[in-house]
Amino acid sequence: MTQVPTLSRLFIFITLICAATLSGLAKSDSDRVSELLALRSRSQSGVIHLDDRSVSHFLTSAKTPRPYWIVIFFDAAQLHDKQELHLKDLREEFAVVASSFLTNNQDPSSSSHAKLFFCDIEFKESQNSFSQFGVNALPHIRLIGPHQSIKESDQMDQGDFSRLAESMAEFIESRSTVVVGPIHRPPILSKKQLTFVIIALLIWMPFIGKKIISGKTLVHDPKIWLTGAVFVYFFSVSGAMHNIIRKMPMFLADRNDPNKLIFFYQGSGMQLGAEGFAIGFLYTIVGLLLAFVTRVLVMVRNRNVQRAFMIFALFVSFWAVREVVYLDNWKTGYGVHAFWPSSWH
Amino acid sequence: MAASETSSETTLRHAFGNVLSFFILLLIGVLAFSIRLFSVIKYESVIHEFDPYFNYRVTQFLTKNGIYDFWNWFDDRTWYPLGRVIGGTVYPGLTLTAGTIWWILNSLNIPLSVETVCVFTAPVFSALASWATYLLTKEVKGAGAGLTAAVLLAMVPSYISRSVAGSYDNEAVAIFALIFTFYLYIKTLNTGSLFYATLNAIAYFYMVCSWGGYTFIINLIPMHVLLCIVTGRYSSRLYIAYAPLVVLGTLLASLVPVVGFNAVMTSEHFASFLVFIIIHVVALVYYIKGVLSPRMFKVAVTLVLSVGLVVCFAAIAVLVALVASSPTKGWSGRSLSLLDPTYASKYIPIIASVSEHQPPTWPSYFMDINVLAFLVPAGIIACFSPLSDASSFVILYIVTSVYFSGVMVRLMLVLAPAACILSGIALSEAFEVFTRSIKFQLPGASINSQVSAGDNISDSTMAHNDMAKTDKSEDTLKERPSRKNRRKEKEPVEQPSIRSRIEKRLLVLPLEASILAILLLVFLGAFYVVHCVWAAAEAYSAPSIVLTSQSHDGLHVFDDFREAYAWLSHNTEVDDKVASWWDYGYQTTAMANRTVIVDNNTWNNTHIATVGTAMSSPEKAAWEIFNSLDVKYVLVVFGGLVGYPSDDINKFLWMVRIGGGVFPHIKEPDYLRDGQYRIDSEATPTMLNCLMYKLSYYRFVDTDGKAFDRVRRTEIGKKYFKLTHFEEVFTTHHWMVRIYKLKPQKNRIRGKIKKSKSKSSSTSTKRSGARKKNPWH
Repeated sequence: MTQVPTLSRLFIFITLICAATLSGLAKSDSDRVSELLALRSRSQSGVIHLDDRSVSHFLTSAKTPRPYWIVIFFDAAQLHDKQELHLKDLREEFAVVASSFLTNNQDPSSSSHAKLFFCDIEFKESQNSFSQFGVNALPHIRLIGPHQSIKESDQMDQGDFSRLAESMAEFIESRSTVVVGPIHRPPILSKKQLTFVIIALLIWMPFIGKKIISGKTLVHDPKIWLTGAVFVYFFSVSGAMHNIIRKMPMFLADRNDPNKLIFFYQGSGMQLGAEGFAIGFLYTIVGLLLAFVTRVLVMVRNRNVQRAFMIFALFVSFWAVREVVYLDNWKTGYGVHAFWPSSWH
Repeated sequence: MAASETSSETTLRHAFGNVLSFFILLLIGVLAFSIRLFSVIKYESVIHEFDPYFNYRVTQFLTKNGIYDFWNWFDDRTWYPLGRVIGGTVYPGLTLTAGTIWWILNSLNIPLSVETVCVFTAPVFSALASWATYLLTKEVKGAGAGLTAAVLLAMVPSYISRSVAGSYDNEAVAIFALIFTFYLYIKTLNTGSLFYATLNAIAYFYMVCSWGGYTFIINLIPMHVLLCIVTGRYSSRLYIAYAPLVVLGTLLASLVPVVGFNAVMTSEHFASFLVFIIIHVVALVYYIKGVLSPRMFKVAVTLVLSVGLVVCFAAIAVLVALVASSPTKGWSGRSLSLLDPTYASKYIPIIASVSEHQPPTWPSYFMDINVLAFLVPAGIIACFSPLSDASSFVILYIVTSVYFSGVMVRLMLVLAPAACILSGIALSEAFEVFTRSIKFQLPGASINSQVSAGDNISDSTMAHNDMAKTDKSEDTLKERPSRKNRRKEKEPVEQPSIRSRIEKRLLVLPLEASILAILLLVFLGAFYVVHCVWAAAEAYSAPSIVLTSQSHDGLHVFDDFREAYAWLSHNTEVDDKVASWWDYGYQTTAMANRTVIVDNNTWNNTHIATVGTAMSSPEKAAWEIFNSLDVKYVLVVFGGLVGYPSDDINKFLWMVRIGGGVFPHIKEPDYLRDGQYRIDSEATPTMLNCLMYKLSYYRFVDTDGKAFDRVRRTEIGKKYFKLTHFEEVFTTHHWMVRIYKLKPQKNRIRGKIKKSKSKSSSTSTKRSGARKKNPWH
């Protein structure tokens, strides 16, 4: 066991430093809790920022039935611009869980008060802790129980933060005795923005009222309505609601060949964003061309323009229908066939 | 519809056109009826799926006991021990309709069974629905568009899916009621007749009786009224179309027990009352405007506006306060999930769990409305020029329904009529333009001969529409001020039509391109027909109570469900309680006539969660739950042997979710390995020990020696185990339904054990696997 001497050496080193800096503060559990509480009250969302020193102070050097649970979010500022990791989003969600926990358990008499602390660690600052925890891939969230050492602690799986704050809270509740409670998301508009909107609306109201009475608004223009109606149609038939509800990405990266992107998903239960919009476009374009031919093109006096455009429109429509039929057969695997009288065979 | 020919010729042409339309409509009715008979031909005359079995059972009760007993029926065969008040919780429209049909047929000495009447109710009503579509579209864009829309609706797959013979469900009659209500509304709007307004309220009443979807009507019509007011289209016809509907309709709706005071209390109806207030204010303003001089009017406006606004705001504030005082803001969960699509998936697993409440992907549109999806945009544009009251209603209808269908795949059914109407308009307009181009440019066709025989119906509508086109600025044609005025107006209207005829000759497209376009449109229509027939025959006709599968060695029929229900009805006591997941509740009560704990009417979430908890608990805990509910038999559906994918193991996660929603000791992550649902050797111990797993896979290894699950395509995790608290009593031929009996209570053995310990220890060694769990050790 080579670890023991290093650990003990580290322990001595840290106690020395702590003793020096904190001027002999007693390391009892209640002090640690109050320290954590103080740190938490200083942070904005209730997430405590840890570094190598504080990790050892609160986790490694603290004796094992620690009176608190700690959840650590492993962050790396240099990876924030990598979209596929969603580090920023997850960090925000993590903060939402933290602040919800705070608001739900403000009462000191509640069983979960000061039992759970949300922390984050930055890779560049605290590479030591990253190696201590054995973290070599992000995103990574860990829950360390009172009895657990760093190595034993539970790691949050991909599935546990897939549904964001709610599933993180579920994970914590399932592995610990702490109750997180309902998630409070910050409202989309802050109070200031809301008052601004209301004031703007109030100022705007008389003007719009006057316009409505005089009958000269956008709502009296059928073209607006027409565009809106066609757009809603396009939006719905493209399955965009499905993509919003299921939070589908616009496209996927091919597993076999990372440079290739998958735009079309095979299987009728699911679709990708770009795929939906492409088909929605095909659905809509045929009708628009047909309407154009029957309503606008008939007014044109030049025969050749008419002819050329009609051929073009027919060709595009034919292509669009054929493409949708082909893609539908490919995606669903249905073989649509006609029924002929059996004597014809 | 008058063209400018001599009167005798026009009447002849009209008469001929009317007779032809009549026969076409008759054929459309036959088509609508017969395309839905595939299920009877391919399978048998049997009630389909789940909900229809309940409706069938209610209809049986109605025909046997009469309407009063039906109204007061308390059903003790379901939701044991709570029971269910059927008369007050069911939409009676369908059952009353079928019951009446049966009664009429019987009094005419046509001895049809109740089941036969129930099976064929849906096809009959789909014929009625296509005729209603004809009437509605005719009011909007003329008879040609009406016929096209009717023939499209007769075979639109989305509607077929809910109305094949045997699919005896509310939607079957409700879609007819929906279209007919809309037709009467438009008819009232076009004529301003109080007669039609009254009929409209009655049709609305029928819709309320039939389906919960009536809220769509009572929100869509106010929206249209509001739209008309906002865009400056208020007229007395609008008032007549709307005000009686709200008053009479609401009064009639509250007569239906299941709606009752909801008709005035819930938010779904508030829009109609709000618009009711607004239309009165607007009507007053218009009245005052007519009475006073312009200057006086301005004074009055400022006066009324200031007073009126205060009153309005007070009323709105009261409404808002009322609405806000209820936790769900007065909306039912289903409506909320329409307004906020992510609502259901977050808060109501029982709504989110139903597959027909999922949002559809684009292939669903192609499957359910097929090529109509391509034609609808053209129809929307056609409705905008010219924009009349009627056509704006159709536009509003398509826009709202297409949005709703995007949220819930089941509402595709509401979209289908709208899509048919608009596609009908688009198709008939396209045909009109193309045939006109051909007709007037055919070599040899004299341009001046107006009375060329041939396309008679479309010709008259053509003139009609063209007039509207040329007089676009006036827009007066479709908005007939009132019935009396209309006749007077006919004279001046006929004169511009001559002008339009001359002008129309210029509005043609090149001949050969038109021929090509017509050919392509005909191909498109043919493709639609092929697709619809295929969908009716292959996709939507399966009764799901009898399953078939085609393999290389011929057709296999799986009739396990009826086998199991028959076993239950022959081998168990009349008062025995059977527990199963709620999907099979209606079928068990209807076919086996046994009491169930939960059924498809998911009115009590806690009760369902109790069953879900029992299914996801280990054997002993489950036994205790079931025993406390007096359950004697537990029924599970298992598809692993034959590869039937919608079995209980696949539904199991929902049982866990719903159970966990009420009983927090059931946690979904306990059943998932790394977020994945699996039943193989990687499965979690909680999963492998839960009742559902055990009841599904008990003795499964005996079938092939490997216990390979054909649905999950894997070998199961735990193959050899014994049941301690349940015993298998019946497994159907293909193992699709397995019935277990709860072992009798064991508490009396405790005394015995104390006396003869050696004996009990020998028995307990037999149950080696469950030794730890034995309560008396």
